[in-house]
Amino acid sequence: MEKLLEIRGLTTEFVTSEGAAKAVDGVGFDIGAGETVGLVGESGCGKSVTALSIMRLVQYPPGRITAGSVTMDGRDLMKLPEKQMRRVRGNDISIIFQEPLTSLNPVFTCGEQIRETIALHQKMGRRESRLKAIEMLRLVRIPDPEKRYDNYPHQMSGGMRQRVMMAMALSCQPRLLIADEPSTALDVSVQAQIIELLLDLKERMGMSVLLITHDLAVVAQMADRVVVMYAGVVVEQAPIDSLFSDPMHPYTEGLMASIPKLGEHLERLPVIPGNVPDPLRLPAGCRFSDRCPKRIPRCLVEEPPLFSPAEGRLSRCWLRGGIAK
Amino acid sequence: MTPSRRPMPAAQGTPGGPAAPGLTEVFRRMEGTLQQPCRTCWSGGWARFRRNRTGMAGAFIVAALYLMAVFAPALTPYDPVSHGSLPEMRHRAPGGDHPLGTDKFGRDVFARVLYGSRISLTISFLSVTISVIVGALAGAAAGYAGGWVDAVIMRFVDALMAIPRLFLLLTCVALFSSSIPLVIILLGATSWMATARLVRGQILSLRRQDFVVAAESLGAGGRRIIFRHLIPNTLTVMIISATLRIGGIILTEASLSFLGLGVPQPVPSWGRMVFEGREALLGAWWVSTFPGLAIIITVIGYNLLGDGLKESFDPVNFG
Repeated sequence: MEKLLEIRGLTTEFVTSEGAAKAVDGVGFDIGAGETVGLVGESGCGKSVTALSIMRLVQYPPGRITAGSVTMDGRDLMKLPEKQMRRVRGNDISIIFQEPLTSLNPVFTCGEQIRETIALHQKMGRRESRLKAIEMLRLVRIPDPEKRYDNYPHQMSGGMRQRVMMAMALSCQPRLLIADEPSTALDVSVQAQIIELLLDLKERMGMSVLLITHDLAVVAQMADRVVVMYAGVVVEQAPIDSLFSDPMHPYTEGLMASIPKLGEHLERLPVIPGNVPDPLRLPAGCRFSDRCPKRIPRCLVEEPPLFSPAEGRLSRCWLRGGIAK
Repeated sequence: MTPSRRPMPAAQGTPGGPAAPGLTEVFRRMEGTLQQPCRTCWSGGWARFRRNRTGMAGAFIVAALYLMAVFAPALTPYDPVSHGSLPEMRHRAPGGDHPLGTDKFGRDVFARVLYGSRISLTISFLSVTISVIVGALAGAAAGYAGGWVDAVIMRFVDALMAIPRLFLLLTCVALFSSSIPLVIILLGATSWMATARLVRGQILSLRRQDFVVAAESLGAGGRRIIFRHLIPNTLTVMIISATLRIGGIILTEASLSFLGLGVPQPVPSWGRMVFEGREALLGAWWVSTFPGLAIIITVIGYNLLGDGLKESFDPVNFG
């Protein structure tokens, strides 16, 4: 597959009073053209910061991208002047956020906000961009788009607002859409609609999607390949089918075990005990060692590198330590 | 634990702890989480404003003042500036042809108060506009840019705030000969600092709101973010504070004129009229009293309007 985006050694730090916390610590993966990559992990493991770092939207201070490269079309986005980066945002890479309720400006109509984005990137007149905006509303299946164009965000439901966000993000036909927990804030039935819409639009527009979620069911439904993150690093990478049939990192196993299964009666749903460690107080050795049920003595002293135990697969676990990558 | 299998816990809550909320309360709270706090609920605000008695009273007073200023020539036959020709016209008591009496030059006090409202309203409106624009730009720049830009602008604001305003005004008026545009600019230039602080605070909290990050992610630049996303969201707060500030500006202008350094002669200005009438206060009380009353009514009107707007539109009051 042709590579669209190549992320290497991406490191983002947040300055705190106790020192620099590495929220993202040397993350690297590729996104192919037309591919959907799922980025999974618990809250606080650096998924969203990775997304914001790719777009260079990490607020400074306190955040700062300290190392790494994100290559697209042979250009390193991390080294691009801000003015050119602005042209990349929205045009080449777009992002939709978790909170559709607060992601729209409350004082302008939804249609106007889409129209502005279109006018910003494509040299278009007012009337032309308005028509295009209505077209976008129709594309994201908002009923009666001509009327809805003049609605303010507070006059729309959460699902509807997320659709407006998608219309905005897709209005310039980006080649990569980063969807940061696009359905998490919505209720279950609306979630399914949004995911289905996302799948459909991806097919029709032929774009790549980086889907950030903690919901493995959503990943199973959408992604071609999965990157699992834990405490700021990639711990496993695998094509979707082999990930579910044969997870190669105890963390991934734990995530999967904690999904309730239909027809299974358990007293208690298995959970991974503990929390993602504070990036300022990482355990020595493997970052997952304090919560890992399969821990061996080596895990406590030495951090495992990313091994490649099988074709197309990566795992950061000593137990899979075949050949170091 | 399977809480659903257990009997429902008693509604009194834990002993000593707060009582468990009733169902209505729970629904009310849910409503709160579902309805996003929207900063500028214009439609809801106007409905609240129309029910707000103080606000409506203020709006009525201010509207009446502007109408009187505009239609002054239709409301009085007298000229506010030219002196009366007959000496017996001096210091006429209120009543008859001169409802508010005449001053020492035989000029009709009612006409002078009416025409004086033009000066007071124009000066206060324009200088508040200047102060809001300058303050909003400075505050937005400081809040959005942050870092050293913020530090420089805010220290400058602090320094300006430390200068006693009246003395600065007096010095400037003494240096350049006094004129209406000069008074407007001076009053505007010495009152924008509070707006700058207010707007900066608003921008700081808006700056990391999701919709601002979303706009950045779609390639919007700094200027666009400030003018399309940040400032429009602070407009409500700015209008409220400007309305409340107008009263103070009218008073400052009146004090300047009272000191004889505001609006030059023979333009009728309320402060000037109070000043000129003070010599004859015991004999002809009406010469200073009525312009003084006009100042008081105007300031009260604006303050009531500002309070009403604040109660109806400021999210803090109904959020």
